[in-house]
Amino acid sequence: MLSVLSYGRLVARAVLGGLSQTDGRDYSLISASYGFGKDFRKGILKKGMCYGDDACFIARHRTADVLGVADGVGGWRDYGVDPSQFSATLMRTCERLVKEGRFTPSNPVGILTSGYYELLQNKVPLLGSSTACIVALDRRSHRLHTCNLGDSGFLVVRGGEVVHRSDEQQHYFNTPFQLSIAPPGAEGVVLSDSPEEADSSSFDVQLGDIILTATDGLFDNMPDYMILQELKKLKTTNYDSILQTAQSIAKQAHDLAYDPNYMSPFAQFACDNGLNVRGGKPDDITVLLSIVAEYTD
Amino acid sequence: MFYYICLRRRSRSGTRGEALTSRRAVESGQRAVLPVSVEVEQYAKEVLDFSSHYGSENSMSYTMWNLAGVPNVYPSSGDFTQTAVFRAYGTWWEQCASAPPPFRRTPKGFHSQDYIELAFEEPVYPTAVEVLETYYPGAIVQILACSHNPFSQSPPTDVRWEVLWSGEPTKVLTPQARQFSPNIKHISFPTNLLRLEVNSSLLDYYTELDAVILRGVKERPMLALYKMPVIDINDLSDSEEELSDVGGPFRQGSDGKHQRTGNGYFDKLPYELIQLILSHLTLPDLCRLAQSCKLLHQHCCDPLQYTQLSLQPYWARLSDASLGHLQSRAPLLQRLNLSWTGNRGALTLTGFSSFLKACGPSLVCLELSCCHFLTEACLEVVSQTCPGLQELNLSSCDRLNPQAFTHISKLARLRRLVLYRTKIEVGTVNTSCIEHRNFNCYLSLLKIEDYDVVASMLAARCRSLCSLDLWRCRNLTDRGLAELVSGCKMLEELDLGWCPTLQSSTGCFQHLARNLPRLRKLFLTANRTVRDSDIEELASSCPSLQHLDILGTRLVSGASLKKLLQSCPKLVLLDVSFCSQIDMRVVQELSGLFPNVALKKSFTQ
Repeated sequence: MLSVLSYGRLVARAVLGGLSQTDGRDYSLISASYGFGKDFRKGILKKGMCYGDDACFIARHRTADVLGVADGVGGWRDYGVDPSQFSATLMRTCERLVKEGRFTPSNPVGILTSGYYELLQNKVPLLGSSTACIVALDRRSHRLHTCNLGDSGFLVVRGGEVVHRSDEQQHYFNTPFQLSIAPPGAEGVVLSDSPEEADSSSFDVQLGDIILTATDGLFDNMPDYMILQELKKLKTTNYDSILQTAQSIAKQAHDLAYDPNYMSPFAQFACDNGLNVRGGKPDDITVLLSIVAEYTD
Repeated sequence: MFYYICLRRRSRSGTRGEALTSRRAVESGQRAVLPVSVEVEQYAKEVLDFSSHYGSENSMSYTMWNLAGVPNVYPSSGDFTQTAVFRAYGTWWEQCASAPPPFRRTPKGFHSQDYIELAFEEPVYPTAVEVLETYYPGAIVQILACSHNPFSQSPPTDVRWEVLWSGEPTKVLTPQARQFSPNIKHISFPTNLLRLEVNSSLLDYYTELDAVILRGVKERPMLALYKMPVIDINDLSDSEEELSDVGGPFRQGSDGKHQRTGNGYFDKLPYELIQLILSHLTLPDLCRLAQSCKLLHQHCCDPLQYTQLSLQPYWARLSDASLGHLQSRAPLLQRLNLSWTGNRGALTLTGFSSFLKACGPSLVCLELSCCHFLTEACLEVVSQTCPGLQELNLSSCDRLNPQAFTHISKLARLRRLVLYRTKIEVGTVNTSCIEHRNFNCYLSLLKIEDYDVVASMLAARCRSLCSLDLWRCRNLTDRGLAELVSGCKMLEELDLGWCPTLQSSTGCFQHLARNLPRLRKLFLTANRTVRDSDIEELASSCPSLQHLDILGTRLVSGASLKKLLQSCPKLVLLDVSFCSQIDMRVVQELSGLFPNVALKKSFTQ
C-alpha cells in the first residue's frame, strides 16, 4: 500500500521523466583512482594523476562522465625521451576537451583524435607514445561508450560477473597499438597507430554496475577471478569505499608483480607462446574504479 | 570642505547609519555607492568575435576561445596552450614590406591593433573588470561595454558602446602573470558584452590572456551626491562625438546680403597653407571645423583632405548615415580603412555601395578586416566600382561564403590581398587571384585544402610575388614549396609557420635558401625537422635575412646559429623558443656576441 507521498513522487517522476525512458534519472560515475609507478616512483604525483609512465584522468561534464588511462611506452627512455610526458599530456588534453565540452559522449574516438591533434598544436616538441583507453557515460541515455587503442582496457562487472570487457590490440608480443609522435626522420621506424584504429563499443549500463579501467600493469598480473574477488568487497557507493577497493586491487597487483614464482596472466600468455617464464610483470599499475550511480549535482 | 557640507546636509534626511558609512567611504577616498547591492562576479561565457589568434581554427591551443570560462593557468606564468594568444606582437610585422603604411589622421588616443568580444551570462552595471594576463602582460589598451545583449533573440537596435577604460600600451618589466584591473567608468546601462582592445607593440613576446572577470551589480547603483566623476581627458576627444551629426549642411546666415569675410588672418593665408594646417586634424575635428564658417567649410569639404580615410577608430559609431555624409567629400579617396566597422547592423549594403560608388574610381587600397556586414553582394560592388583597386584586406571576414571571393578575380590591378581566416577555397583562389600577373605583394590564406596546387599556380603566374603568408597551411609539401621558390624568385617574405608536412630531409629548405637570395623574413615556426644544414644554407645564401623563427626544433645547434648570425648582419629577430639544443646559456652567449639581435626564448615554466 503506497503512501500518498510516494505515489505522488512516482507520478511526478513518470511525468517528468518523459515517455522515452522508463527511468528518467541521469546517471553518473563515482570514480576513484590509484596506482603504483614501477620502481616505486609513485611519489611524484604530477598534475592529472600519473603513476610512473602511466597517466589517467577523470572528468565531468554536464552531459557525460569521462575517464581515460594511457600507458606511456617505456622504450623511449633509451633515446633520452621521458615517456611519461606524452601520456600525461594526452590525458590532460583529453580532460580539458571534456571539461570544455568539445566532444560528443557517443564518440570517444573523437576525444582521442582531438586530443592527439591538440598534442601536435603544442609549441613544445613532444615525443613519445602511449596506449589509450577512454570510457564515457552518457548521463541521459545511460549508455557507456568506450574506445581502446592498445593493451590498456576496461571491465564492466554486474552482479559479480564480467559482462563487458575490452580487447587488447597488439602488433606482436609486448608491442601494443599506440599513438605516437616520433622524432623527425624516424617516422618510418617508430610505430604510430592512428586514433581511428581504436576499438570502440557502446552498451547500456545499470545502476550499481562497476567499471574498472586500468593499464596492462593490472591485467597482466591479476586474473579476472582475483579482481572479481576484490570487487565483491565493495558494498557501498561512496567515494571512500571505492577508493579503498581501488587501492587494494592496485596493491595486490603490485605485490603479485614482484612475486617470482607466481603464474601471472602475462607469464601464462608467454608460456602459451613458447617462452618458459614464471612470475609477475613489474610495470606501472593504474586502476580507475567507477560505479554507476544516480547523478547528484 | 565641500564634501563635508554635502555630508552634513545629507545626514538630516538620511539615516544616521547611512551617513556614517558614507563619511567613512569618503574618508577612505573611494567612490561611495550606497546602499549595498549584491555584487555579481562572472567569467566570460562565450567568445563572440575577435580579430586574430595564434592557434588553428579547430583547436583549443593558443586560440581566442580560451578566454572564456575559468582561468586554466593563472597564477602561473608561461607560454601555455590553454591561453588566448593573438597572432602578432611587437613591431616585427610592421617592419615588413608587406605592411601597409599607417593611415593619416589616426587620433592619438587610438592604439588598438586587435580586439576580442566576450559575452557574459548576466547583464550587470559593471563595477570592475579584471583581466588575467599570464604572459608578457601590458597589451590591453581599451575596455568597452555594449548595451546590446548578444543572447537576446531580437535583432540589435540602438547599439551603444561605452568606453570603460582607455590607456596607453605598456610593457611590464617581467613576463610574469598579473591581474589587470583598471579603474573603470560607471555607465548608465547594464551590459553583458565586453570588448577588449589590445596593442602588443611594446612587448617582447606574444601576450597571453587566461580569463576575464566582470564584476557588477544588478541594480543600478545610486551615485552619491558628492561623487566627482573622473573625467578622462582621452574621453573628451571622441566620446560624445556623433559622426552622423557632423557634415550636416552648413546653414547660410539669414542675412546673406551682409557678406562679411571677417575670418581674420585666415583670409590672408594662402589656400594650400590652410589645407596643410587642416591635414593635421583628426576626422571629427575636421567635421566640426566645417561648421564654423564658410571659408573653413569650403576647406574642410575639399576632397583633397580626404585622399586617405581611416574610419577604424570610429567603428563604434559609424553608420550608413555617417558614410552618407562623407560621400560628397570622397571623390579623390585613394585609401579607405573600414576595418572593424559596421557590425551588428550599423552598415548595410546600401550605405556601403553608395559610398563606394562615390569614391570607387580612385580607390587604391581598401581595408575591410573583420567587417562582418560584408556579403557577396558587397564584394560584387567592390569589384564593379573599384577597377583600380590594388590592395584588399579581408582578414577575419569569416562569415563570407566561398562564392563571394569569385568577384575578386575582376580586380585586375590587385597587388596585395589578405585572406587570413576566410573561407576561401582552392578553386576560387585560382580563378580569383592568380590570374593577375602583377600580383606581387602579399597573399595570406588559411583554409585551403591543397596548398601545393596554389603554390604551383603562384609559381606559374605571379612571378614577381614578394611576400607570401602561408601560416598554418597544413598540406603544403616539399613539392609545392620547390615549385614555389623556383617560380617566385623575388620573394622577400615567406611565412611557413606550423606547416608540419614540410620535411627538411627532402632538402626543401636548402632549396628554398638557394633560390631566394632576397629573403628577408622566413618563419619556420614549429617545423620540427629544421636542422643545422638548413641554417648553414641560409647563412650562405640569404645575406639580407632580417627575421627568422625556428621555434620548436630539436635539431639546430648553437654553432650553426652563430654562423648564421655572423653571415647575416641585418638579422634583428631570431626566435629559438622550445629549441632543445638552444638553452639559456647558448642564448646568453649569442646575445652577448650579437647585441643587435632580439633573441626570443619562450618558456612554459
